[in-house]
Amino acid sequence: MDGSKAPVSEHVETSKAAVLEVVGSRGSRAAGRGLAVVDLILRFLAVIATAGSAIAMGTTNQTLPFFTQFLRFKAQYSDLPTLTFFVVVNSIVAAYLVLSIPLSIVHIIRSRAKSSRLVLVFFDAAMLALVTSAASAATAIVYLAHKGNARANWFAICQQFDSFCERISGSLIGSFAAMALLVMLIVLSAVALARR
Amino acid sequence: MSTSEAGAPATVIPIDDVGGRHHGAADATGKAPVVATAPPAAAAAPAATTTTTTAPRKTAGLPFFRRADRGSRCVALIDFVLRVAAFGPTLAAAIATGTSDETLSVFTQFFQFHARFDDFPALLFFMVANAIAAGYLVLSLPFSAVVFLRPQAIGLRHLLLVCDTIMVALLTAAAAAAAAIVDLAHSGNQRANWVPICMQFHGFCQRTSGAVVASFLAVLVFIFLIILAAFAIRKR
Repeated sequence: MDGSKAPVSEHVETSKAAVLEVVGSRGSRAAGRGLAVVDLILRFLAVIATAGSAIAMGTTNQTLPFFTQFLRFKAQYSDLPTLTFFVVVNSIVAAYLVLSIPLSIVHIIRSRAKSSRLVLVFFDAAMLALVTSAASAATAIVYLAHKGNARANWFAICQQFDSFCERISGSLIGSFAAMALLVMLIVLSAVALARR
Repeated sequence: MSTSEAGAPATVIPIDDVGGRHHGAADATGKAPVVATAPPAAAAAPAATTTTTTAPRKTAGLPFFRRADRGSRCVALIDFVLRVAAFGPTLAAAIATGTSDETLSVFTQFFQFHARFDDFPALLFFMVANAIAAGYLVLSLPFSAVVFLRPQAIGLRHLLLVCDTIMVALLTAAAAAAAAIVDLAHSGNQRANWVPICMQFHGFCQRTSGAVVASFLAVLVFIFLIILAAFAIRKR
């Protein structure tokens, strides 16, 4: 009697453990999918932010109705090489993010992809460095345009070009938002990598 | 022989330790057979404790150099070395910018004759950010050492990754802002009527340009640190 009871209880215990394992793995799979969905949403937002920044900066064009002897009467983003760099880099990062959206969708479907997530982290880190440098350099130039520099005798051009200055200041916001989103994307990818 | 995979109380028969005890004092000969049995027994903690309790001579060797840990320890060592390597450029950039101060012997009616880093807010931000990054690198060295000693500390790896990412953003922003200002100082801007001041202030320009280059090198090392950390987290 005892001999027949012992294997039955063992069988019950192992089947209980198996059920618990299945439930646990289902919960962890759902959490993994949630992470991948958040990743996709953040990528969409970052695309919008960088594309908006590039377009806002790229369509700057202000012509003053008068002209003085010191300043030209037209201001475009291409007059300042740093702002050109800003537009180019934001376009590149927007294009990269658009191209990485299919990969992110694949991660939702297939949660076990390790090396593709690693590739995504690598490119995300590179794009983070790029977009941060572009946004920061443009901020330095915009600050200079607003305040000028007394020591170097650099005149604050915003005093003449109002709407140009407003436009270039506003387009920085999208770029900095994209930078924060990329930081979150990298951390999210690292958490997803560690969950295997 | 060792059926400790299920996690039940292990019944490990330490055959090689008996041979090791017979060999006598030589630790090297005693270690080799113990390391050979380490991989099959490495999965279960009770197995490790039984082998260590039966071979007290080899406690220093066995838990430290398990074959399964070798890859992540190698990565952790590279991580530590890279942090030390990144500390040099950031500190040098901060000091070089902080001590940049040039007074010209001539002065015209258009130029001031004195240039310092705090005349330019971007260079001030650059110096502060590099100092912060250098301090962070020094403070993160013990954490990196702990990750090397305990490869299973995943939470610590995550913390280092998050802090490294924030530092990359800060350092890149500072280096790029300083690069924009230095480039403007070198070539000026005709449209905005901004005069290139490097024509007059040679030493100041050289110093700040060198500091910007060093800072970008440190940024490169930081990015490599992030990728390495993500790779190491994946391995575990």
